[in-house]
Amino acid sequence: MAVILKYLIAGLVRYWLIHIDYWQTIANRVEIATPLNSWKRLIEGVYLYGHNINPYEGDSFHESPIMLVLFYYLMKRIPFILPALFTVLDLLTAYLLYRTSKAFINMFKDSQDKKLEEVSEESKNMLLNDSQLKEASEYVLSVYLFNPYSVLNCVAMTTTVIQNLLVAASLWGASTGHRILACVFVAFATHQALYPVLLIVPIAILLAEVNKGCHKCSYIKTLLVFVLCWGFLIYISAYIMDGSYEYVYDTYGFILTVPDLKPNIGLFWYFFTEMFEHFRLLFVCAFQINALALYVIPLTLRFKKEPVLLATVLVALSTIFRSYPCIGDVGFYMALLPMWKHLFTFMQQKFIVGCAFIITSALGPTVWHLWIYSGSANANFFFGVTLSFATAQIFLITDLLFAYIKREFTLKHGTSRQVDGKPAKLVLR
Amino acid sequence: MSIYRLFWIIFISAYSVVRSDDFKEEMYIKPLPPSHLYTYFQFITIVNHKSTEHSHLSPRSLGEVISRFKVDELHLTLTEGQWRHHQWGYPVLDAAPGAELYAWFATDVDDIDTQWRKLTSTLSGLFCASLNFIDNFNTVIPQMALWPTGAVKPIQNITSQLRYASLPREIVCTENLTPWKKLLPCESSRGFSALLNSRMIHNTKYHSIGVHVRKICANKDCTDTHLEIKQTVALVYDYKIINSMDWSFRKLFGQGLPGACTLSSASTIYVDVTTNSSHSFKLTPSPHRILQSQRGASETEFAVYDIHNNGEMINIGAKYDSKYSNNMTVIIPPPIYFNRYVLGYGKEFGGIVTELVNNYMTAIDVVLLENAPWWLPIQLSSLRVNGEANNKLVIAQYFSPGRNRQKPYHLELLIKLPPRSTTTVTIDFEFVFLKWQEYPPDANHGFYIGSALITANLPTAKQYSSLPISGSTFDSIINASKPWYPAVFRTNGAMVSLPTPDFSMPYNVICLACTVVALAFGPLHNICTKELILKPVGTPVSLTQKLMNLLKRKKD
Repeated sequence: MAVILKYLIAGLVRYWLIHIDYWQTIANRVEIATPLNSWKRLIEGVYLYGHNINPYEGDSFHESPIMLVLFYYLMKRIPFILPALFTVLDLLTAYLLYRTSKAFINMFKDSQDKKLEEVSEESKNMLLNDSQLKEASEYVLSVYLFNPYSVLNCVAMTTTVIQNLLVAASLWGASTGHRILACVFVAFATHQALYPVLLIVPIAILLAEVNKGCHKCSYIKTLLVFVLCWGFLIYISAYIMDGSYEYVYDTYGFILTVPDLKPNIGLFWYFFTEMFEHFRLLFVCAFQINALALYVIPLTLRFKKEPVLLATVLVALSTIFRSYPCIGDVGFYMALLPMWKHLFTFMQQKFIVGCAFIITSALGPTVWHLWIYSGSANANFFFGVTLSFATAQIFLITDLLFAYIKREFTLKHGTSRQVDGKPAKLVLR
Repeated sequence: MSIYRLFWIIFISAYSVVRSDDFKEEMYIKPLPPSHLYTYFQFITIVNHKSTEHSHLSPRSLGEVISRFKVDELHLTLTEGQWRHHQWGYPVLDAAPGAELYAWFATDVDDIDTQWRKLTSTLSGLFCASLNFIDNFNTVIPQMALWPTGAVKPIQNITSQLRYASLPREIVCTENLTPWKKLLPCESSRGFSALLNSRMIHNTKYHSIGVHVRKICANKDCTDTHLEIKQTVALVYDYKIINSMDWSFRKLFGQGLPGACTLSSASTIYVDVTTNSSHSFKLTPSPHRILQSQRGASETEFAVYDIHNNGEMINIGAKYDSKYSNNMTVIIPPPIYFNRYVLGYGKEFGGIVTELVNNYMTAIDVVLLENAPWWLPIQLSSLRVNGEANNKLVIAQYFSPGRNRQKPYHLELLIKLPPRSTTTVTIDFEFVFLKWQEYPPDANHGFYIGSALITANLPTAKQYSSLPISGSTFDSIINASKPWYPAVFRTNGAMVSLPTPDFSMPYNVICLACTVVALAFGPLHNICTKELILKPVGTPVSLTQKLMNLLKRKKD
């Protein structure tokens, strides 16, 4: 009953916010709508497509052709249903996340039982009991339903709503062992926004673990299915665009080369506004490698036993470092964090990070208004806010990882921090 | 003997080639009551097309440009100020503020974009204007708005041969006028061009110099073509600037007219005296003849002076009747006039509104060409005519979306303006954030948006003073009644202020953003490569002890 009430309230809030007078303002916020996902651009792309003008000829539309055709038919046949549709899709994302977290919790419990003998005697009380674990998935649901970031994202009707749904569906598919499902959805998400390609690594590990049997064969199968799906989607998109692959320059090319410098909550926009032309390519490559490739291998090697944590961290890192991030992405990975509720006691910067999130969320719109509308501030103010927002997110993620290894250590070696009876402290070596 | 005969043949043939060239100078003065005066000069050189290099009248520099780049028709104007159609009626030739250039290339030119860039660079050198800044990112190919005025074969697909660009920021001054004058056969020493004293003409409310090159038919059947090079100057004086309503050449140009250019076959001055009925004035010296013209339903009266080169200084002037000078004037607006402005506040979203007023009693079809630069992305989905998204007034529409740093946004609408109505065309745009090096100097001055083009076939010749398409000289206006009167107008330009970054910040921004990236890299690197161990903590060491330790180490 309480669960249904949650969905109902969250759905009503979203639906109501879509229909208020301030909707246009919300839908146009730079923090919510980026050149990649904004509703306005989707409308423009669909409109051009409807008038037989290739939307990729211009610079107004950067979504994938599949989304273009999908929304073309939706807007042509049932335009009135779209607000409800977005609300339902977001609720579905919440539901899938809830189911995913349930499955993850079960896996977590299994692995906890398996490692029981490794746990030191004095840390036994740190082990999680069923009620604690059950709570976690409830929190996942609540956070996604009521986090202002995800609410606003849904209200603005950005395509990130669909992106989140696809990522959630692929995680759910992986957690339940549906290889095809997981691969199709992650391929869809990759086709739409490229960065979810990172998720194929934790998904491959998860599938191998859930489905048991030969691990290597499972990895290869997963990769193969993913590549096939992705290739098929790219081909389908080209088929939609009359066999032309030009759209790739306007979707993946647009994501990778960052030609649109409209401010958002990420690190790219001001960096590349102020970049010396000579070094632009170097830094574009450096930043994209940082977002796409740099952390995957080391984190996979370190956390291959914890694919769920790996997935959370990779989603978060790609959100922080992607070229056009929006708060919808932030809201999504924040909903995954309650699964790691038991790590919160080991985190050191909870307060700082919490304050930073609240302050930057309030300050961002304020300095944006000062800069763009009243002309009494300049770009540096907004840049400062986005910089501290990114810093807060980075602290959150690194703190989470530190908390995880600290807990592992404590489980193994007990809670006492003493070496040979002398006081000692935990250090990295 | 035979050598002499040969010499004579060559001489006569050369003479006949040169004789086929013709140069005329004309001046048209029209009072624009109550407060302005319009003077328009045109210098027409007609060249036998095959021999631009052997002409003694046409400017060789321009002729070479035309023949080398295979230009069929070319229009270049450099303008300062804004023509007020609502108050002043229509000019002989309309021009966009700043620099405007459009040209049709011959059909056998394959790579038009390259030729276009070469042409603009060459003209840039020829007229000392920044036409070299014309590139693909500010060039459009109008589909409906512009049609050639010269002789073209009707079967040709001419639209694809056309290129149009305007530079609204261009400032027009003496350095453009001097090379322009050098193209004239008499330069500025004799003839009407002697009046074009840059000290005086840049003191006007509106001035526009132009070069228009086109092909005209050499005979009735149009089997052969001649090249017509027309150089124009349009000036609008404000009576406030010359301090009285009474005008004279001395007041307007600082000197009298020192006679006609020796090389011209006709030098004529036309003064529009139609307004004499409401604002009575007397011309001195009295005109040589008066011409009545009935064009469409509108009657015009010209006072004509034929100027000869007899060494006399001519100072034509008008003296207004003092008792009428305080007359209130009712301005009768022309059949179509328009206005353009930018909507919105802040530097995030905005809109461009073009208001078209049809003041005539029948519906008029017009083509509106909106040419938005790439940094002003207009959204076609937000196009509204009279506030409606799908208005029936729009008969045809063409849209070519722009691309960052490559292509402008280009929208053309064929609209039927209902009789006696105002039609508003609104389109929204989003401000673009440029790279810091793409902002011009004084970035906060704002960015100019070029004029929109409005092409109409007017059903009436009211306030219409353009030459008919087949005519070269002003006498072709007389009694030139046609079913419709083609006209291309330019709206006023507009200005927007783009959001700017802090131009002094590049190093700081690069350092700060990289620091944040490093903040993630460091801990993640530690987590992935190191392991946690327990390290015994020694007894805490005080600051003085630390210093002592340091000193001890130094001693060793």
